[in-house]
Amino acid sequence: MLDLKLEDIDGILVRYNVALEKEMTPDEAAEELYPKDELVYPIAKAIYEGEEDDVIDGLKAAIDAGKDPITLINESLMVGMGVVSQLYDEGIIFLPNVMMSADAMLDGIEFCKTQTTEVPEPKGKVVCHVAEGDVHDIGKNIVAALLRASGYEVIDLGRDCPVDEVIEAVEKEKPMLVTGTALMTTTMYAFKEINDKLLEKGIQLPFACGGGAVNQDFVAQYDLGVYGEEASDAVKIANFIVENGEGIEKLREEFHKH
Amino acid sequence: MVKKYTSMAYASADDMLFGNAKFPVKAGLGLEIGAGYTTPEINYAPRPQAGKSKEKLIKEYERITTDSMARMVQIGAPSVVLETEHVEQMTNNPEWGGAVAHAQKTIMEEYHDEYGIKCALRHTPGDIREDRDYLKLTGDKFDLLMESFEQVAQNGADLLSVESMGGKEVFDYSILRNDTAGILFGIGVLGSMDMETVWTGVADIAKKNGVVAAGDTDCAQANTAMFIAGGLLDKNLAHTIAIVARAISAGRSLCAYEAGATGPGKDCGYENTILKSISGVPIAQEGKTSTCAHSDVMGNLVMQCCDLWSNESVEYHGEFGGTSVQCWGESLAYDCSLMNVALKTGKAKDLRDMFTLSDKYRDPQGYVLAYDNAYRVGEAIAKDGNDNYLRAKNAAVECCNIINEGVASGKLKLTRFEINALTKVKDDLDALTDDSDKFMSDCLTRFKEEVAVFRPENYGL
Ligand code: B12
Repeated sequence: MLDLKLEDIDGILVRYNVALEKEMTPDEAAEELYPKDELVYPIAKAIYEGEEDDVIDGLKAAIDAGKDPITLINESLMVGMGVVSQLYDEGIIFLPNVMMSADAMLDGIEFCKTQTTEVPEPKGKVVCHVAEGDVHDIGKNIVAALLRASGYEVIDLGRDCPVDEVIEAVEKEKPMLVTGTALMTTTMYAFKEINDKLLEKGIQLPFACGGGAVNQDFVAQYDLGVYGEEASDAVKIANFIVENGEGIEKLREEFHKH
Repeated sequence: MVKKYTSMAYASADDMLFGNAKFPVKAGLGLEIGAGYTTPEINYAPRPQAGKSKEKLIKEYERITTDSMARMVQIGAPSVVLETEHVEQMTNNPEWGGAVAHAQKTIMEEYHDEYGIKCALRHTPGDIREDRDYLKLTGDKFDLLMESFEQVAQNGADLLSVESMGGKEVFDYSILRNDTAGILFGIGVLGSMDMETVWTGVADIAKKNGVVAAGDTDCAQANTAMFIAGGLLDKNLAHTIAIVARAISAGRSLCAYEAGATGPGKDCGYENTILKSISGVPIAQEGKTSTCAHSDVMGNLVMQCCDLWSNESVEYHGEFGGTSVQCWGESLAYDCSLMNVALKTGKAKDLRDMFTLSDKYRDPQGYVLAYDNAYRVGEAIAKDGNDNYLRAKNAAVECCNIINEGVASGKLKLTRFEINALTKVKDDLDALTDDSDKFMSDCLTRFKEEVAVFRPENYGL
């Protein structure tokens, strides 16, 4: 078969990912970010490595040494996960690492809860769902995992979720944010309905929408809608609300890029 | 009943070409697929409002069909295939699907009678065996799916296809966790088992109605991996893992032809070049002309061995150049015209190689799917063709070897991240047993525990 000479390939295509790859390896980058405390360090590292058994071992050691389980959630588990999230945002590590770390962190939180009667305070509560009639749920799963990884409590209503179930969940759980995912042009209209029913009941909260079919123009048509392109935008939207309140206008200024 | 492939249809990779299949397929009105020429396959979706009632849907598909056929005639295209991928209402109400097929075929017959244009209608019922919480592969929903095939076959569909989703529950869990055994189990083992059931059913219905059991695609898994992997700068999945999933999917999609399907394979099966090398069936492909539906990193390469050339799907609406089906159909037809000229002037192998080289080094996925390498993956599958697990594992191992050789040649450049991900997959594969029964029982134990929605009874386990 015909072939290209090595020196001719660059004129045909550019592997920008290779050209731009960071010098530092992920492990080295993580090492720079871990907290130095010798009881916390192994926990954070085990989170980064996604090793749930090591996470639990580290927590046991820290609790034996007198650390408070609830404090450990924020000062070791969340800090370890913060390292992971930062590296993901910077393009140094990829999603599967985040998923495995998040699993390890959730195991760690469960363990801490068994060691105390106190109840940990999450950063905020978010309701996630996939539009009615739509079974494409991988994007939503990523959104939910990243939100959990950032310390939010996620109420995951799953896929093909009826409009009324979303409304009920919002009334019951009183979240700071609802997210919706739709991959079909035929299903995304459910978001408008959700918007209208929430407003009818006098409920005002940001409704972040994304997924393959959804675009900014569509989301901007209903009052509560905030469009997000990437799964990580859901976390950024939640963080923005924690820092700046839930004004839809401000959110749109920040996140509507097109 | 199910006869496994243990040898290759072609003696060498160089024998594979667009517009030519070892076993061409006659279908519809005067069309022969893979018999020395390529044919455009136009795909479309109705506008959302059109799904409200049966009457509205039929009207919408009549417009789509008339527009498409009219444009093909206006530009002098000798042949065309139309593919209707069902919206959910059409499969869940089998008589809706049948009525749409009938309406479309009536129009196509008129065009065929008047102009002699060769044409065929493909119908692809949706795999509706998924409810909100679980896959329900057997029982009522399976029967309904088969009823849908029956209805479209009786009412005018010439080619029957489906994008079946067996194994997806385990795959979805595994792909987000780089779980090599889970990817292999979901696609290679569970997916293959479900394929055998579905395609035995479809082949029976096709035979009974004198139409063609065409083929499947691993859209639900390998394409999901490809989309999660995304473009060069996306960071959700290593492209090296996406292509390993694709190589595994070839063993799975092959099951359709082993259960009686004859091709043309479905357009979005990027594994189709591998399937063609083993089975010799004609294939549909999509690439640069399906950017209306999705982006990929091998838009020209996939044309290398196609028999039908498709746009995957476009919503029906107006564009400056006509309706969307007319615009995209026209692009397809001109691509086919170019390929057909190459075939007639003895330049086809050069053109094929140019398609391939355009994208061979763009991404590890294109590298492995380049026809020379695809053929090698095919050989790895045929070597243990009788064993769904072993052949899927072979394909994955061969895929890793091919990429490593490409990297060693200096032409395929990977990021450290992609290389590390590949090394991990290869190590995982090397650590796996060669005993299919043991693999099965290990995976059953593990995934019953880890994947809440996994129901072994779906697979008769
Ligand atoms: C994989 C896939 C499937 C899989 C789904 C597996 C699963 N568990 O999700 C299966 C095989 C089941 C499937 C089935 C069908 N599919 Co499908 N599928 C796809 C495909 C190829 C990729 C989708 C995907 O997973 N992408 C990767 C994920 C990660 O992307 P994502 O969800 O968009 O999420 C990202 C962002 O959008 C964002 N995000 C997501 N949600 C949110 C929310 C917030 C708040 C924020 C900030 C961000 C955010 O984060 C993610 C990562 O950054 C698309 C093609 C395409 N172009 O999208 C077709 C596609 C979506 N499918 C389509 C169709 C038609 C179907 C079927 C009807 C086919 C049929 N005839 O049976 C059925 C639908 C069944 C149903 N009722 O839902 C069409 C939809 C066309 C339309 N009408 O709009 C598409 C576009 C293909 C096409 N071009 O024709 N499909």
